[in-house]
Amino acid sequence: MEPLDRKSELVRRIAVALRGHDGAKTSSGRAAGHAEPCTRADTIALFRDRFEANGGNFIECPSPEAILPALGEALRLSGVAGLFFPEDDAGARQMAEALVPFGPFTLVSSAEALQPSPPQTAGFQTADYAVAETGSIVQTSLGGKTLLPGLLADVHVALVSRAALVDRMDDCMAALADAPPRNISFLSGPSRTADIEQTLTIGAHGPRKMIAVLV
Amino acid sequence: MEPRSRSFFRNSEKALADASLQAAISRTTGKFVGARAASIEAFPGFEEARREGSRIKKETLDRLDRYLALFISEAEKRGAVVHVARDADEAREIAAGIARQEGVTLAVKSKSMVAEEVDLNGALEAAGVEVVESDLGEFIIQLAGEPPSHLIAPAVHKTREQVSRLFEQKLGEPYTDNIQELVRIARKHLRAKFLSAGMGVSGANFLCADTGSIVMVTNEGNGRMGTVLPRVHLAVASIEKVIPSLADLPVFLRLLPRSATGQPITTYVSVLTGVKRPEDPEGPEKLHILLVDNGRTAILQGKYRDILKCIRCGACLNICPVYQSVGGHAYGWTYPGPMGSVLTPLLAGLAEGAALPNASTLCGACAEVCPVEIPLPRLLLELRADERDQGLKTPEEILGMKGYAAAMGRAGVLEALERIAGVVGRLIFKDGKVPWLPLKFSGWTDKRDFPAPAAQPFRRLWKKQRGIRPWSR
Repeated sequence: MEPLDRKSELVRRIAVALRGHDGAKTSSGRAAGHAEPCTRADTIALFRDRFEANGGNFIECPSPEAILPALGEALRLSGVAGLFFPEDDAGARQMAEALVPFGPFTLVSSAEALQPSPPQTAGFQTADYAVAETGSIVQTSLGGKTLLPGLLADVHVALVSRAALVDRMDDCMAALADAPPRNISFLSGPSRTADIEQTLTIGAHGPRKMIAVLV
Repeated sequence: MEPRSRSFFRNSEKALADASLQAAISRTTGKFVGARAASIEAFPGFEEARREGSRIKKETLDRLDRYLALFISEAEKRGAVVHVARDADEAREIAAGIARQEGVTLAVKSKSMVAEEVDLNGALEAAGVEVVESDLGEFIIQLAGEPPSHLIAPAVHKTREQVSRLFEQKLGEPYTDNIQELVRIARKHLRAKFLSAGMGVSGANFLCADTGSIVMVTNEGNGRMGTVLPRVHLAVASIEKVIPSLADLPVFLRLLPRSATGQPITTYVSVLTGVKRPEDPEGPEKLHILLVDNGRTAILQGKYRDILKCIRCGACLNICPVYQSVGGHAYGWTYPGPMGSVLTPLLAGLAEGAALPNASTLCGACAEVCPVEIPLPRLLLELRADERDQGLKTPEEILGMKGYAAAMGRAGVLEALERIAGVVGRLIFKDGKVPWLPLKFSGWTDKRDFPAPAAQPFRRLWKKQRGIRPWSR
C-alpha cells in the first residue's frame, strides 16, 4: 500500500472510531497559573534562583572585562583547554578571545570540537532566550545558528542579554510559534543522569558545567 | 517485545524473592514519590495545570482525526516524511525499509516506549543496523540483554557492581565501584557512536499539530545529540502523542517532569520542526516520522479512551503498592504499573493481560497522582468486568464475588458473618493470626500472616461508641 493511502486511511479510521463521541471544540489553552514576577529585577532574580537550582552557575556583570579573571579560573579548574564559539556570534567571540590570556587556553574550531577525543572545551554562545520560570537557556537554530557549543562542550557558557530574558515558557513559544526554527532547545543546567542506583551524576552526554553570564 | 503478561503471578513471586531487586525498587519509587510531592508543593499552579493538561488531552483525543491530519500535513510541509504503521509488523517493516533506503549501518537511539512495544531494534538489527541505546539506563540493559523495568529509570534494578561487571565484560573497561567513573566510561563510548552514527532514532513525548513539531524531553542530552548530529532522524511515536499546538506545550512541560522525577523542568527539552534548512550548519537532512497505531484506534472507539491521555510520567508506577512490591518486569510487557495494567490488556489482548487489572488494590493512589486525571481505578474495574463478560473468570471467582456482593449488600448478613467470624477467631486463632486457608485463599496465607477476625468488628465498636443498638442499621 502506498504511504499516502496509509495516512488518509489512518485518519479515516480514527474518524470512524470517534463517530458518535461528541468532543468539545478545542481551543489552544494558555498554560495554567504561575506566580508572575512583577519587575525586571524580579525576573532576573527568579532566573538566577531557578538556574542555580538546576545546577547552573549564574554571573551578572557590569562589563565583560570585570568577570574575566574569575571566569578564566572557573574554566581552568574545570580542566578546560580549548575555547570555541560560533563564527557569526560577535559577543561570544569577544568573550572567548578576551579569556585566552587567563588560561592557558587555545581557540579551537567547531570542527575540532567535533573530533571523537577533543581537548576539554568551553563553548560560548549568545542565548536566544532565557526563561525565568524554569531557569532555562533557550538556544535555537533560527537563521542558521549552530547548536554545538551547548551540545558538545564540557563547559557551556551562555551569554544572556537582558532583552533575551522572559518570564515564562509561553513568552518564548509565542515568539517562535509562527515560524519555528528546526531546533528549539531548552537547556536547564548541566547534563545529568540518575540511572545508576538513583545517584545524581553530572555530565552524562552534554556539558558538565553550565554558566550563564548576564551581560 | 513479545508480551509475557500471562506469567504475572510467576514473575511476581520471583521478584518478591529477589532481595536486591526489592531494595532497588524501594529506593527508586521512594525517591520519586518524595521528589514529586516536594516539587508540587513548591508549585502552587500544579492543580490548575493538571486540569488544563487533562482538558487539552481529552479534547485532542475527541478530535484526533483532525489533529493528526494537521500534524501530518504540517510536518510534511517542513520536509519530514511521515509513515503510518497499523500494527507492530508494519512498524518494523517500515523502519527496516527506511534504514535500507538510507544506507544506515549504525544508529543511536534514545528512549522510546513505543519502539520497545513494536520491537523496533529487532527490525533494524535484522536489516543489518547496529542499534546503540544512548540513554545510560537503556545502554546498560541493552548490554545486559534485558528489557527496561521502569518507564523513566529502565535500569533501576541494577546495582553499581553489576553495571561495572557488565562494562568490564562488554566494553573491556577496568572494574570500578565509582558511579561518576561508570558514567564517564559510558559517555566516552557513546560519544564516539554519536559522532559516527548515520541515523538517530528517537521517540516523541509530544507532537504539535499546528507546526508538525516533535518534542522530546531528556536529562542526559542523548536525545538532543542523536537528533542534531546524525544525517537521518527517525522519530517513532504512537498516534495519541498529538497536542493541538506549540502554545499548548508549556502546560505539559510543567506537568511531566514534576510528575516523573520531581524536577521543575528536565535538563533538555528539544522541539524539532522539519529537516535541516539550507542555512543550518548541522541537523538531519532527512526526517522520517513513524506514527504507530497498533490497536490505539480501537481504544479510541470505546470506554477506555482516557488511557490514551497518558503522558508516560511514571507517577502511577511509583505510588502503586503493587508496583512497589513486584517492580516492572513482572508485568511482562512494555508498560508496567497501573497505566500498564490498563494499556497491556487493551493492546496485547485481554486474555494475555487478564492478570494485570486484578493486580491492584484499587486504593486510588494512581488516579490521585496522574497529571492528566486518568481515572485508572475505574478503568481497571471496567477491565475486570470485561474479563467476566469474555469468560476469562473461573466459576469459583464468579461464585466468590457473588457471595461477597450478597454479604456486602445486606448489613444484617454482614454483621452476622462478622460476629461468627469473631467467635471462631477467638476460639481457634489464639495468637491473632490465621496460618492456613484452603484452595485459592491460600494466597493470603502462604507468604504472610493473615490477621484473625477481630472479636469486635469495627462497625460494632462504632455503634457502641455512639450508643446505637447492635442490630439497628
